[in-house]
Amino acid sequence: MWEYDFMQNAFIAGTIIAFICGIISYFVIVRRIAFAAHALGHISLTGAAGAAIIGLSPMSGLLTLNIISAIIMGLIGDRIRKSDMAVGIVLTFFLGIGAYFLYLYQTGYAGSIMAIMFGDILSVSSRQIFIIVILTSIVLISLLIIMRPLLFSSIDPTIASSKRIPSEALSIYFLILLAITVSMACQIVGALLIFALLVGPGAAASECCDGFYSSLSVSIGVSILSVWLSLLISFYANLPTSFCITMLISFFYIISLFIKRLRMRHV
Amino acid sequence: MNQKNIVESHQLCIGYNNKSLTEPFDLKLKENCWYGVIGANGSGKTTFFKTLLAEIKPISGHLLIMDSEIGKHNCHIGYIPQERELNANILTSAYSIILSSYNAHRWGIPIYSKTLKKIASDIIDTVGASDFAHKPFNTLSGGQKKRIYLAQALISEAKLLLMDEPLADLDPQSKKGFLDALRKIHKQTTLSMMMISHDMHEIAQYLDAFIHFRDNKVHFCKEMPCIKESAYVGI
Repeated sequence: MWEYDFMQNAFIAGTIIAFICGIISYFVIVRRIAFAAHALGHISLTGAAGAAIIGLSPMSGLLTLNIISAIIMGLIGDRIRKSDMAVGIVLTFFLGIGAYFLYLYQTGYAGSIMAIMFGDILSVSSRQIFIIVILTSIVLISLLIIMRPLLFSSIDPTIASSKRIPSEALSIYFLILLAITVSMACQIVGALLIFALLVGPGAAASECCDGFYSSLSVSIGVSILSVWLSLLISFYANLPTSFCITMLISFFYIISLFIKRLRMRHV
Repeated sequence: MNQKNIVESHQLCIGYNNKSLTEPFDLKLKENCWYGVIGANGSGKTTFFKTLLAEIKPISGHLLIMDSEIGKHNCHIGYIPQERELNANILTSAYSIILSSYNAHRWGIPIYSKTLKKIASDIIDTVGASDFAHKPFNTLSGGQKKRIYLAQALISEAKLLLMDEPLADLDPQSKKGFLDALRKIHKQTTLSMMMISHDMHEIAQYLDAFIHFRDNKVHFCKEMPCIKESAYVGI
């Protein structure tokens, strides 16, 4: 398997993205913004379609549009204090535009757009890996800077605001990091299955762990293990990788539920 | 002993949406004291706390906290609001929540050193939460949660603790446990505490002074009689 360049690239890209998704996923769960992660995945389609129309790479289009959407979601969500509503409105607007873009770009519809919808990890190029490394570094360093106040404002928002922790600014900041991560993860699991990597690992960790670092480790572990096993299974059993990733993450989530039941018995 | 001023107001007038709730008042609250804040509903008690936290601007006058403008020392103010929502995961222990509160306003990653864990254990002992601090937060009773909130405030090295109706909804035994913890803290630390309560008759004996909101006026009284005039405080 290792003699194939495409498999090497898939493992490198998959591991890096799984690592960063594991971390981001934990915060997505603690901050209860799974819907935003889901919506950004869908908005990626509009970005990719828009970029295709003006002749740019899908990645540049979805990255730009996802960041713009994240900022709008953060700003409206703060103002009306109902983030789900804000996400829903932004999603409706951009998905509508996406549908129109696809209508305009019917000839190229089957190619690059489909890759964004369902992911295509086996076609990752060295250039894409380079972009993924840069973006992951940006997300990771940015997250490390705000991790302590972000964690506290996620768990205890009332006290965080009494400590003058800038919760609203942190919220927009984190949504931007989420948007960048979604843009990368789209290439692996695709826009439609983005839920898998951005919600699943954090959800599994939150069910069976207590402390911050143990939860984070489990989340990263579940994420990386799912991607690795999926690549192996898809190579040897000839199954679609994104399908394997979603199935494995669901499987790990079910295991975490059993662990939770066992641990709750000793409480 | 020369006690420092923790809160100092001069001709302070509080309220919100440009609507004043009180006439201008002067206050000097000292460190290491326990104050009761009393008054009818809507008289401005919670607004006073929010003004101290710089969440609401004063209508007029000056307010200093620890000799600085409001908002500068919020990291040293512990706050137990009347209502709060904690996004704790199902197995997140109270202990983990206490640890995450340490220096939460600082940038960087959370570092849980051995020293911090030792400090946390000592604080948990002080508030009498050793038996349940390692249990999932969501499985704790109301009284137990209140003691965890106390520990959370203490680990941030608070110098002023604001408590908004902490005794509401507690059964007599939980109330006693919470008050015992407060008395212990009052004895062992130089923390100043301000507590809004409608059950003042139960705690009046422990308090050093009272801040009394009545008829748009704010009285500072060290003695009980001023409070006894008011039927609504339950004495």
